[in-house]
Amino acid sequence: MMLSALLVAMAATLPGDLEGPQPVDSTGTPVEAKAIAPARATVFKAAKIYVGDGTVIENGSIVVQDGVITQVGAKVETPKGATVVEHDGAISPGLIALHSNEGAGGELLDSTREVMPEAEARHAFAPHHSDYRRARQAGITSLVLAPSSANLIGGQSAVVKTAGGKVVKPSAHLAVSVSSDALNFNRFPTSYAGAMKELNDRFSEPEGAVARAVSGALPVLVDVNDRAEIGRALGFVKKFQLKGALYGSYWAEDLAEPIKESGMAVIATPFDVGDGERQMRSIVALQKVGVRIGFGLDAPARHPHSLRLGAAMCVRAGMPADAARKALTGDAAIIAGIPGRIGRLARGLDADIVLWSGDPVALSSAVEGVYIDGKHVFGGEK
Amino acid sequence: MRSKAMWPARMGLAIAVFVPLAGQVVGSTPLSQDEAESTPDVYMVRAERLVVRPGQVRENASVLVRDGRIVQVGGADLALPEGATEVRGAVVCASYIDPWSALGVDSGALADTNLVGSARTADGLDLYTGDHLRDEALRAGVTLARLQAGWQGQIGGLGAVVRLDPQLDVAEEAVVTDSADLAMSIGLSVDQGSQFVQGPDGSFRIISGDRAIDVFDRVSAVDKVVSNLETGRAYRKSQLEYEHKFAEWQKAIEKKTEELEKDFKKAKKDRDKDVEKAKEKGKEHKDKSYKEDRKPKQPKPDPDKAVLAQVAEGELPLVIELHRAGEIRNLLDATKDFSRVRMILAGATEAGPMAGELASRGIPVIVWPSLRGTNAADEFQGSDLSLAATLRDAGVNVLLGSGGRDATASRDLPLLAELAIGHGLSRDDAFHALTLGAARAFGVADRVGTIELGKDADLLVLDGMPLESGSHIQYVFCGGRLAVSPN
Repeated sequence: MMLSALLVAMAATLPGDLEGPQPVDSTGTPVEAKAIAPARATVFKAAKIYVGDGTVIENGSIVVQDGVITQVGAKVETPKGATVVEHDGAISPGLIALHSNEGAGGELLDSTREVMPEAEARHAFAPHHSDYRRARQAGITSLVLAPSSANLIGGQSAVVKTAGGKVVKPSAHLAVSVSSDALNFNRFPTSYAGAMKELNDRFSEPEGAVARAVSGALPVLVDVNDRAEIGRALGFVKKFQLKGALYGSYWAEDLAEPIKESGMAVIATPFDVGDGERQMRSIVALQKVGVRIGFGLDAPARHPHSLRLGAAMCVRAGMPADAARKALTGDAAIIAGIPGRIGRLARGLDADIVLWSGDPVALSSAVEGVYIDGKHVFGGEK
Repeated sequence: MRSKAMWPARMGLAIAVFVPLAGQVVGSTPLSQDEAESTPDVYMVRAERLVVRPGQVRENASVLVRDGRIVQVGGADLALPEGATEVRGAVVCASYIDPWSALGVDSGALADTNLVGSARTADGLDLYTGDHLRDEALRAGVTLARLQAGWQGQIGGLGAVVRLDPQLDVAEEAVVTDSADLAMSIGLSVDQGSQFVQGPDGSFRIISGDRAIDVFDRVSAVDKVVSNLETGRAYRKSQLEYEHKFAEWQKAIEKKTEELEKDFKKAKKDRDKDVEKAKEKGKEHKDKSYKEDRKPKQPKPDPDKAVLAQVAEGELPLVIELHRAGEIRNLLDATKDFSRVRMILAGATEAGPMAGELASRGIPVIVWPSLRGTNAADEFQGSDLSLAATLRDAGVNVLLGSGGRDATASRDLPLLAELAIGHGLSRDDAFHALTLGAARAFGVADRVGTIELGKDADLLVLDGMPLESGSHIQYVFCGGRLAVSPN
């Protein structure tokens, strides 16, 4: 399995423009659009539309054509012959889980080597796995498949859709781990000192994906656990002037200012019922000083609703609800590196739409309908 | 059954003033003005909406709290007693009760797998630590919890309903009832901790702690529940038989005494003669024996069996944690003949298909709406967040709990309730589960669960309706003490 995936990886040629709108499948082959006849437009109408950038439209409409949003607003004319979906609750963009493992099994970790910058998580994408159905049911329409933090440089993450099999960004981040997870009894490195030496060596004479990270073209995703590790990570990204996000938020509270100065975003570690208040306080403090926040998930070990649980727990701890909604959608798309494709309900973006019974950050709100690229993938309305 | 000292601790002078009143019916002995002024414990809580009990709302109401209790409920014009503190809010409702919690149970008592029926969770409380956990729970509106030691054991002992007030360091004051239920479990695949075992050759080896749970173990666990119920029933029967026999014996003795007293003089003469004769013969005199002399033998008192007897007779609820459909099916079949047993299922992950039967047999279920990944332990693999709604729709009395394993989870009970609401449970049903439903199930509905005259003052003041998204808890009263206020 692993070997064949590697062979495919070597054989595959990546499309030149990684940011381009052309969808590719897990092997990098462009997915042909199956447009036969021009599709009828669909109009979604709701009392409340959470755009994803913090703004709210009351009694608004969203027009979708060929899987793309063409119009959004309070005064939008319904095109002739359009299918109209009247929803009596709220509508938001599809949620984005920033660090997850759906359907990937053990494929996101090659435990034999500690540094593999060219390994690509998209090869672990198994779009028909039942994990993706669970994710859709929770309103998650895109997620970042991230290499395991057990390797020093685990490889490149991929942004994938939870339906339709699309890899929307094949090389989203370079996953780097300065956490104790990367220290191993059986192989190098076994200490922080060893880990930092190796990382410094690799980034001082960069090649391939590491070179792209150093040039700023490829954001890094730096796994951290405790306070000292956050400090080490900040020193590391400053030294090489890296962009990206820290993954890990337990101990970030006291370091909110330095994190803000580093320009790094923070992906919150998945939340669980009963988690200590420190974790919520950290996110609230980071958000307050202006650090961009997103939420990690790490499904399937976590339930997909854990994503919203994290947002709800942070709101209870004092995070403004609109900031929490942004962290699940618009800001998450920025951290994922494709704000021009997903995360907001705006003209030209993918029609990834969730119909809720109420506010998306309230756990009492039900997911009543999910559309990905304009296609109905879950819920009652079609 | 009930613990006697149930009054919240007071501060300073108030202790001297009010403790002697404990036990009296509040209201029949109104406090003098002087006393009212000296206490910090008189509050007038006014709200635009008072949720008296689930589904019953009164507009513009006032609630007078004095000495730990609700002493008056009236309209907005209810006069403010001198010295009382006024608290205002949009909504007042009963505080939340976690009917399946570990908050405040000593970790050793919680993990004990060898408890017996008469073991009391109230004796295994650890109220001196974890104040911040209780504070967090209070801020979330949870002021009461049913605590259960020995959750992993096949018998977990007697559960207790406890008030989560960090000021109540004395168990007697915090405990609302020390025998809320008897707990049992079936089929939990739990880690019992690895241990060193010395072999016959003197060498040590490590025995893996995971209890092997296969289908045979689970069948035998159901059998054990049944045999425990039979033991209880037999014990009660033997007790009753003894009491009956003893009463009969007492009657027979009375009758015989009467009979003998009639011929007392002759009998005495005859006996004296017999004694004389025996003396002459150098023999010891033997009194005549009567069959009534034989006193019925009392069965050996057994506190564990006595608890099982209470359970078998429905005097004490039986909480059984189990999850797999097969076990629930087996349990329901095996307990059909025990119509008096008041069973409450905890967890019941795969109970959906049995919802109708649970409803018709009146068996409540404490649902634990937990977010589990696909790597969850075997018994939770069928986990479904819509279980609460499925059961409720079929007419089952649904309660909501935080699982009884993790002390910090009680704080998140309202979030769990919201999850259940997001998966089809109505807000009213969820509120009922967290208040009156839980109070009724564990026999404390005369004290807590609604806002009514004479009840303990466990209540919340919110800026919106409880369990509504966007509502915030502003004040929390825990047994009449203002435990949480804004900032």
